[in-house]
Amino acid sequence: MTSQRKKAKGESLTLRYLILGGWALFCLAPVLWFLSIGLRPRTEIITAQPIYFPSFSLDAWHMIWEDWPMAAYLRNSIAAIIGSVIIDLVLAIPAAYSLSRFSYKGRDDIGFYILSTRMMAPAIVAVPIFFLFRNFGLLDTIWALMLIYAAINLSFVTWIIRSYMLDIPKELEDAAKTDGAGEIRILWEIIIPAVLPGIITASVIAMIFAINEFLFTLLIASTPDAYTMSVALSNFTGGSDGVIYNAIALVAFLAFVPVFLVVVAIQKHLSRGLTMGALKG
Amino acid sequence: MSNSSLSASGAAKAAPDIPARPVLKRRSKRFKAALPYLLVAPAVLYLMLITLYPGVYAIIQSFHEVKFGPWRPIGFGNYEKLLTDYQFWGALWNTLVIGSISLVVQCVLALALAFYAYRDPWVKGWRIIFLVPMLFMPSAVAFIYKLFFLDGRVFADLLMKLGLVDGNIAFQSSTWMSRGILILADVWQWTPFLFIIFVAGLQGQDEEVEEAARLDGASWYAIFWNISLPMMKPIIAVALILRAIDITTMFTNVFIITKGGPAFGTETISYFIYRTGFKFFNFGYASAASVVMLIITILVAQLVVKRAFLPPRS
Repeated sequence: MTSQRKKAKGESLTLRYLILGGWALFCLAPVLWFLSIGLRPRTEIITAQPIYFPSFSLDAWHMIWEDWPMAAYLRNSIAAIIGSVIIDLVLAIPAAYSLSRFSYKGRDDIGFYILSTRMMAPAIVAVPIFFLFRNFGLLDTIWALMLIYAAINLSFVTWIIRSYMLDIPKELEDAAKTDGAGEIRILWEIIIPAVLPGIITASVIAMIFAINEFLFTLLIASTPDAYTMSVALSNFTGGSDGVIYNAIALVAFLAFVPVFLVVVAIQKHLSRGLTMGALKG
Repeated sequence: MSNSSLSASGAAKAAPDIPARPVLKRRSKRFKAALPYLLVAPAVLYLMLITLYPGVYAIIQSFHEVKFGPWRPIGFGNYEKLLTDYQFWGALWNTLVIGSISLVVQCVLALALAFYAYRDPWVKGWRIIFLVPMLFMPSAVAFIYKLFFLDGRVFADLLMKLGLVDGNIAFQSSTWMSRGILILADVWQWTPFLFIIFVAGLQGQDEEVEEAARLDGASWYAIFWNISLPMMKPIIAVALILRAIDITTMFTNVFIITKGGPAFGTETISYFIYRTGFKFFNFGYASAASVVMLIITILVAQLVVKRAFLPPRS
């Protein structure tokens, strides 16, 4: 079967590998070039003639740890992200359970409302959210970041988990019900273990979006107390000397490696997660 | 009602080993009816706090002049100003132009790549590298392109080495070249998003239909055009909507690469709101723009998105 599917009629294998190989190069070349930026001295980045074969240097590595509070940026990112994922799961799992395993008036409208919050442009709510956090004294704290990341991600975390819950056969639940188990216990002992892959997928995608979040973090954070890696990058400037690109490149790779490894681990579930469960993998 | 429900579920949780039957019997019918609402309520309330509350706040603020001092009611003043503000309309137009070009390009690319990749077991082994751009922090990606085209002048230098241009290219002073950089950065980073979804969609299709068509002597493009593509329609719709949402809210790349320039030629609506509110501290005016965007968002959500995500039940 698979061998038959390898090639369709009239399709050229050479063309296929040329196109795919070309695209792979297009994907990787900028990344590798940027890595070379991270491993060269600052004097060889912005020059009259671009330098293609720079000398090797760990300047940037020393700079990000010694001249910049990199450890604080890292700590803020990790704390805000983990906190936000926990908030999301606590809210999303019961909500997804309700949306997938019960049938009641208004269910689809509630579900769509949750989904539609994903469509809200961050900029639209930025001004009111800014004042809300200011009134509660939460500006420039990781608590504000946690709350906002959780809010941004809640809609699709709910929808991904809902999609996995819809797949559980009704019989499993019925069997537990005849044994006298209540709904909460069914959720805890049967549903959650069964949708664990969905929960993990949703958490990973939520983490990636949280790492990437830029606008709210830019507005909320103003000191190393709350700067995350994503926004700290845009602060890597040496005043009149301009942007410190080698530090940016190195920090970008520092954030990229764990994300890449985690995504490799959940590869199988990724497409389903990215479509908020619309695509059964 | 809620008191009894809380104690009931609490008891079930605290002592999971005891058979839950007596607890179940004590539960009222009303609790059973309310349970699904109680389960979904915390999430809904939380989301209302960050959507409904800001929405109402923005509407009220939009009828005021809010700068540094106290709010001064000015009726529809902000909205009247918006109607004739060429920067606002320009931002809408830029968002539409940059967004639609970018979306079309990455959709076509992703479909073609997915078509070539999905049936190839060898490519399956290393196609994870197609995802690399998507997993890079967007702010870092913005800096890659800023350095490559603007600060480092690498692209112009490469073209010069190939003999295609004579001197440096002033990307910053050309609206379309600046837009082009934004489009390229978006296509580079997010084509993988569509690619992986399309690959999964193609792999999930019914192999027998395709096989039957193949045995009938249909060519690959006929199979793709007449069988695969129609089957993929719902998936393509969902993927494009998700991508369209993110493209129309594009901010990071504009903030880092172009700052909206030259002459507001790359200013997106998100950047317009940011600039009005947080650079010029004209919060009332920024809120008015937000409200207009909110109305557009709700309309699009109700008319387009609802259909793609909630297919009519059979």
